[in-house]
Amino acid sequence: MTLTITHGEIARLRRSNPEIFRRPLAERLREWGLWLGFAALLAFGLWWIDASPLRIWNGLSKLGFLVVLMIPPTDGGAFLGYCYAMLETLAMAFLGTLIAAVLAVPLGFLGAKNLVPNRLFHFGLRRVFDTFRGIDGLVWALIFVSAVGLGPFAGVLAIAVGDLMVFSKLFAEAIENVDRKPIEGVRAAGGSGIQTMRLGVFPQVFPVMMSHVLYFFESNVRSATILGIVGAGGIGLALSDRIRINNWDEAAFIIVMILVTVAVIDNLSRRIRMRIINADTGRK
Amino acid sequence: MLEIRSATKSFGDVLAVDQVSLRVEPGQMVGVIGRSGAGKSSLLRLVNRLVSATSGDILFEGRSISGLSGQDLRAWRARCAMIFQQFNLVNRLDVITNVLIGRIGTAGTLPVMFKHFSTHERGMAAAALDRLDLLPQALQRADTLSGGQQQRVAIARALIQNPKLILADEPIASLDPRNARLVMEALRTINKEDRMTVICNLHTLDAARAYCDRIVGMAQGRLVFDGAPEALTPAVIQEIYGGADDETVDESLTSTIVARHRVAGTAEPRVVQSAH
Amino acid sequence: MTMRAETAGKLPASTHSERISAFEEHYRSARNLKRLWTTLYGALFLAALVGSILVSDFSITGLLIGLPKAWNYIAGTLPSLSLSNFWADLADWYWGINYWLRLLVETILMGFVGTALGGIVALFLCFPASRNLIDNTAIYFVSRRLLEFFRTVPELVFALIFVFALGLGPFAGVLAIAVHTAGSLGKLFAEVNENIDPRPIEGVRAAGGSWAMIMRLAVVPQALPNYASYGLLRFEINVRGASALGIVGAGGIGQDLYVAIRQFEYTDISAIMLLLIATTAIIDITCETIRHRLIGQDLTTGH
Repeated sequence: MTLTITHGEIARLRRSNPEIFRRPLAERLREWGLWLGFAALLAFGLWWIDASPLRIWNGLSKLGFLVVLMIPPTDGGAFLGYCYAMLETLAMAFLGTLIAAVLAVPLGFLGAKNLVPNRLFHFGLRRVFDTFRGIDGLVWALIFVSAVGLGPFAGVLAIAVGDLMVFSKLFAEAIENVDRKPIEGVRAAGGSGIQTMRLGVFPQVFPVMMSHVLYFFESNVRSATILGIVGAGGIGLALSDRIRINNWDEAAFIIVMILVTVAVIDNLSRRIRMRIINADTGRK
Repeated sequence: MLEIRSATKSFGDVLAVDQVSLRVEPGQMVGVIGRSGAGKSSLLRLVNRLVSATSGDILFEGRSISGLSGQDLRAWRARCAMIFQQFNLVNRLDVITNVLIGRIGTAGTLPVMFKHFSTHERGMAAAALDRLDLLPQALQRADTLSGGQQQRVAIARALIQNPKLILADEPIASLDPRNARLVMEALRTINKEDRMTVICNLHTLDAARAYCDRIVGMAQGRLVFDGAPEALTPAVIQEIYGGADDETVDESLTSTIVARHRVAGTAEPRVVQSAH
Repeated sequence: MTMRAETAGKLPASTHSERISAFEEHYRSARNLKRLWTTLYGALFLAALVGSILVSDFSITGLLIGLPKAWNYIAGTLPSLSLSNFWADLADWYWGINYWLRLLVETILMGFVGTALGGIVALFLCFPASRNLIDNTAIYFVSRRLLEFFRTVPELVFALIFVFALGLGPFAGVLAIAVHTAGSLGKLFAEVNENIDPRPIEGVRAAGGSWAMIMRLAVVPQALPNYASYGLLRFEINVRGASALGIVGAGGIGQDLYVAIRQFEYTDISAIMLLLIATTAIIDITCETIRHRLIGQDLTTGH
């Protein structure tokens, strides 16, 4: 009852359908080429950064030593101080996000194709929005620390500048995606330009914007925790200090604090976002 | 020979299969009929061990398959090939690789990770496709094929498993009448030419009558009929399909009745034309 | 059906005016509840705002003094280019171009190797972290927590630790990127896995496939375009991230930028930043094109 097949039959099928048995040479070459290229680039990169199993091995023993030093994490009697630094971090993220969001609203309206239909202007503004994304938040922090001095104020500015252009782009896209029908409805009912914005565009765009803002607040809390490393205030300053003087158990304590705070903020913000989205669909 | 001994399967409080006992002789083509939710699908899944029985035992050639695990379980699954209502092909892989999936039950892990199959296995897959008139489509992606073609690919996949038994779970419920006939004829041919045991779940009486040697009727998880197609009297049909509603079932209308049940139950209605 | 039965039972019992007053009652309570929530959110927001301003020393005077300072700083980094002597001025501005390009290549390589290594780890961890692919809750729980840990600890903190353990240089930076990437890509891959069509899984299992075979033949073919798309997106982010790692001594162009900023070599700052912006823009556009092609391909030949 088994399905048997003779060699002759295989040979016949192979003659009539060779590509079932072996894919065409060109196809195989292309696939091999892609994989080899990838592997070669990876190998070259590993060589460049001087990665070697020996270094990993030596590093591992040092890393194990570090972990031993980290356990148990202790606050070194400065728990309240850390809490205040954490508050500073949260405040930096909050204010930075808020400033960026408020400033991005007019920019977003300017960048929306359906509201400002000049193509050249639109293209130019979008490029500007894109350009600023190329700089990491930490670099901005470094620059603002140099410009306005050490402290959380530099951190607020760094976050605000880093996010402003991304927000503007996202807001512009949200405005471009609005449904035309409510706008026409308000206009047909005799609404003025401002009223059309307020009643036709705003209710549609607001939940989307809020959800973006909250999402960025989450991610800014994460990035704000490290801005202190370059002197922009917050918990990062305490962390880099502890690492610099090799107080690894206290550094571990701060890392755990960061993990807990980020988890709590993520959870809260996700709940609020869900609420906004649900309220939005409920209204429709 | 397959022997099911008072197999029971419950999902929470629901008894999907309730004390079913059945013996299937080699080379038989058995049609399992019944309404949606009668437990037909769960019964086949118990045999293939996609689900495990809550109680009871299933034996094949005198050996219990209920306790199999690991490599033995995989080998057993390869021996009883399964065909599904929704074909269950991997859409993004080409047809020939989908057929070759039939060989993995006995293959080593590493070659499968690189989708490497021997010339002999590729020959088997090509021959199986040829038998089902699908060789020209061998290198197309599976999702470019029509539903009927996809189901025939699934049959080819089942064939190269070298199965002792083919389990077909509503193989024609998602197909149009012409493709349904092609698929049922393919199953019947395999049954006749290879002396393969086929157990086939069907919604419609006329397809079961046209293609099966023996018909098993299920209602609410229980076996309510087991016999030749000729023994299906209106009273029996009433018992299988009438269920709790006590509506009268007229056999000349079975197809439409089945279609109406499907409207009320799950997917789109399909009426399968009988082949004679 | 049941809904109609309920309303049908109620309707004759109430009159028109009763129904209107009932509706108004309901509307009023709903509106009051909504107002309560709005007030509550508003109060929370105000409290957060006031608290933040107090804690971060933020003030309008600070802003009024600080912003012009920041602007002057940025303006001060721009070089003096004259039209008559343009090329010489440009050469003067970009005096370190060869060295910077080398560092830029290093930054991109760091991003690439970090993404590749992290992606490989993510690929191994994403299957046990997908709810639909693993029956064992303990394995699922452990892999999920591990991925969470990898992506929640900031990249820079990993970089600080690896610099301590492995010494200064790009190797530490690459490992930091890789660990963070493993966490974030692993989570995204797992989410892709959880949204795939379960039917092919059943098909491969019924043919006798082992767990690894099911992953390879039923899951990976479905999820691969999304993996690639997320991987490219992560590569863009990682090149940006690699440019900052130099600040803690973990290699890349950030190291030179850090020195330039610290030593007030103004024109160097703008020169390096412009190079960075151009590089990331080119990478962004290239990756976006590839991603659109990956997804477009899926739309035309898949469904």
